[in-house]
Amino acid sequence: MPPFAPQTPSQEFSGALPAATSLRDRQRASAQSRRPAAGKRIRAGRALYLTVNIAVLIFLLAPIAIVVVFALNPTPFIQFPPVGVSLRWFQKFFAARDFMHALVFSLEVAMLTTACATLLGGCAALAIARGNLPGARIVLAVMLSPLMLPAILTGLALFQAYVLLDVGRPLWGLVAGHTLVTIPYVVRTTLAVLHNFDLRLEEAARNLGASPGRTFFEVTLPLVKPGVLAGAIFAFIVSFDQFPVSLFLVSPGNETLPITLFNYLKFDLDGTIGAASVVSILLAFLVVLALDRTVGLRAYVKL
Amino acid sequence: MAVARTNGLALLLLPSALLFALFFFVPIGLMAVMSLLTGNPVVAANVAFTARHYLRIVNDPYYLEVIWTTIRIGLWTTLISLLIGYPLAHWMARIRSRAGHAALLMAVLAPMLTGVVVRTFAWMALLSDKGVINQILASLGLTTKPVQLMYNETGIVVGLVHIYVPFMVLTLTGVIGRIDERLEQAAESLGASPLRSFLEVTLPLSLPGILAGSLLVFALSISAYVTPILLGGFQIMTLPILIYQQISANFNIGFAAALGMVLLLVSLLLIVAYNRVLGLVSGQHELQ
Amino acid sequence: MTLSPKAMHRRRFLTLGASLGFGALSAPHVARADEPVLNITGWGGKWGDIMSSDIGPAFEKEFNCKLRTDTALPFLPKLQASSRSAPIYDVLHTNSNEQWAAAEMGLVEPKVDPKLVPNLADVYPYAVSDKIVGVSIFTSAIGLGMRTDKGFAGITSWKELWEAKYNGVRGGYVIPVNSLGQAFVMMCGTLFGKGQTDLDAAYAALEKLKPIKLVDFTGAMEKLFLSGEVCLGVIHDSGIYRYDGQNQPIDFVTPGEGVLSLEQVLAITPGSKVKELANAYVNYMLRPEVQKRLAETVWYSPANRNVKLDAKYDARLLTTPEKVAKLIQVDWKWYNAQKDEIDSRVNRIFRA
Repeated sequence: MPPFAPQTPSQEFSGALPAATSLRDRQRASAQSRRPAAGKRIRAGRALYLTVNIAVLIFLLAPIAIVVVFALNPTPFIQFPPVGVSLRWFQKFFAARDFMHALVFSLEVAMLTTACATLLGGCAALAIARGNLPGARIVLAVMLSPLMLPAILTGLALFQAYVLLDVGRPLWGLVAGHTLVTIPYVVRTTLAVLHNFDLRLEEAARNLGASPGRTFFEVTLPLVKPGVLAGAIFAFIVSFDQFPVSLFLVSPGNETLPITLFNYLKFDLDGTIGAASVVSILLAFLVVLALDRTVGLRAYVKL
Repeated sequence: MAVARTNGLALLLLPSALLFALFFFVPIGLMAVMSLLTGNPVVAANVAFTARHYLRIVNDPYYLEVIWTTIRIGLWTTLISLLIGYPLAHWMARIRSRAGHAALLMAVLAPMLTGVVVRTFAWMALLSDKGVINQILASLGLTTKPVQLMYNETGIVVGLVHIYVPFMVLTLTGVIGRIDERLEQAAESLGASPLRSFLEVTLPLSLPGILAGSLLVFALSISAYVTPILLGGFQIMTLPILIYQQISANFNIGFAAALGMVLLLVSLLLIVAYNRVLGLVSGQHELQ
Repeated sequence: MTLSPKAMHRRRFLTLGASLGFGALSAPHVARADEPVLNITGWGGKWGDIMSSDIGPAFEKEFNCKLRTDTALPFLPKLQASSRSAPIYDVLHTNSNEQWAAAEMGLVEPKVDPKLVPNLADVYPYAVSDKIVGVSIFTSAIGLGMRTDKGFAGITSWKELWEAKYNGVRGGYVIPVNSLGQAFVMMCGTLFGKGQTDLDAAYAALEKLKPIKLVDFTGAMEKLFLSGEVCLGVIHDSGIYRYDGQNQPIDFVTPGEGVLSLEQVLAITPGSKVKELANAYVNYMLRPEVQKRLAETVWYSPANRNVKLDAKYDARLLTTPEKVAKLIQVDWKWYNAQKDEIDSRVNRIFRA
């Protein structure tokens, strides 16, 4: 019945683990060399660890390479091996007003969504973890539920509600829809950090005489920042790539890039799609880099 | 754990509560009501309550099969994403070089930024009969006929894993990065093997991340639309595909709403169960 | 563009905040009162390009109005969700099967008034037949597409699609969501049973058609032909002819049993506030010069009998009464009534 046999990854996985710890253990290598068998095992483990990770990276990046090839290959359909290199799809992409407009509009929506989702989601996560809310579990389940419902239904339901209120299909309606489906990410990542959070740090601050407000801003906030930031990145990316919610909520002339691409695909499946992706990857990278510069992306992994 | 009173931080929930009330409960409530109606009350006259949409689901084994296919694809995707995502997340969390970390982060983010539509097309280019993999296999003389890599559940799971593994990695990295390495070092200096220190220290401490990442990936993969439809070659039916079909081609919003409610219910039940099990296993009942 | 977005975001953000607070009650979009707006639907691709660059602006200028085109599918669910008295579209442009569903739900007017649309007098009978809601402004012929470089030649019949030599390179559509696929079901009934409505014969025939590559949209089928993944499959003539001049080894086959018609239909919504303009638009789209321009861009056969296409288009498109007579129209009203049953059967048939 199972279409897959996942033994390979799991075997590699368990084998990879000892190496994980050995990576940061070089200082103690000499101590371990006293037990040559163990040392050998650990070296083998480390090699396996790297092999697995590099395989995963190849898996992650191969399709991107394909997209780039697709963007540069002059034939108007997916072809392998490629027959040449041309920039015609990039020219076509930059010459198309619809695409450029959609790109700018998508960035705008994604930024607004990120701001809203980060603020609302971060606050909600703090309230859930620290507010001693009655029924916090239920509140959490509710906050995460937009993820469980097929986004297409959320989109249609919102569209129907807007129609009832006779507000048309405004920008704020689209952003509200996106915020709804991105809040769960912020809540999730923030909570994950909050759960690993040492409450004694806050206690210590308060015992040392800090006011609750000061404790919050100087201890709690810096400590949850990594989670919030990870959530913000998720929110940006999910909004930038949001398809089903936007489907019903975009208005004519104001379409997001995924919708424009999908509609374009239905009629012309050529390298413009690849070119559009390459451009949007680069742009989104710029945004992520900007985030890194301003808030310090690295911080959320290492403190 | 001591029971404390609700404090001021609870008020921070209010803005989200407002957003959810206006933009989620009202619209979804509307859909829930519509799943019980014969037509759209806003635009049509003579609308009555009916259970026929739900009866149609229950009475036809085809729909139950669709529900099971959806869940099965979700479970495989989650499992594989966790298995391949964990080592990468661990590496990312533990790598010392700043440039190395930045490179890994970019490598994880790049697929996410490519867009789901385009990435699925890229996978089609890789997996199809005339795709890159089959062409390479044929030119090496390993195969004479194309190997069927897509138009089946395997193809869908491969595509979905690719799309959702970054979510798993980023969720896990945050949590693993927060684990104090000195705890592992302490375990090892007490004589534990690296494997044992991982199993007894790192793994349990990263459980919140595993839980969060798995739930995220599961929820996303059971509501995916573009990937199952393209990599399944339209021959694998999942709930979101069926829902979209009902909305876009059969214009039966009532039935689509009923299917959506079923999907919501199924995922909530599974999530509660999963939560309980992991909570019990880890002994950390207050985790989520 | 480097400075303004930031300011724009800030402004938008403030607007957004305000809207979130008050927007639920007020309608923030205020239409400009001086220019009436005509809301229509339309395709993307080459059709969309020429509509937004030439044909649309010319209409706006002549009728002193604004044309707002929704190209984000699906159209009908959006129309369905909007209120009947203030529909989001004034003119719905879509395929015939959806127009029938829309008419059944009272979302579009079943017929276009010839008094308000004078050009209706010049169309071929099929465009306003009893199988059509509104008016068909163009049609394509659904037949077979083939690769010319794979040794498959001399195809004359639909039935050849069932031959074993096409296993692995045969192409068709996802029947529940694609007009061509649905029309093809009816053709199967005609080929192997007592007629279009002989569904049992059609199901049996579809069962024997496996293995088959299925797509949901004709654009995807075109690509399968171009890449050679499909060598014989169901497609409309425009999907093949549009690659004219690009030296692709593909051709369109008109089977002896006839071709099915794939109509581009316009219908007006009953609640439209700009009926006059809506009728003017339908009439405009039927003008010979507009028809010629669009037909030669996207290789659709024009509905207006008076259109004179350039020789290369005229040779291939359905531009004479004799050629038009080969078109088989599908009884969509009947099909839509059976759609749920057909869908659940074909979903089972093509399940992997």
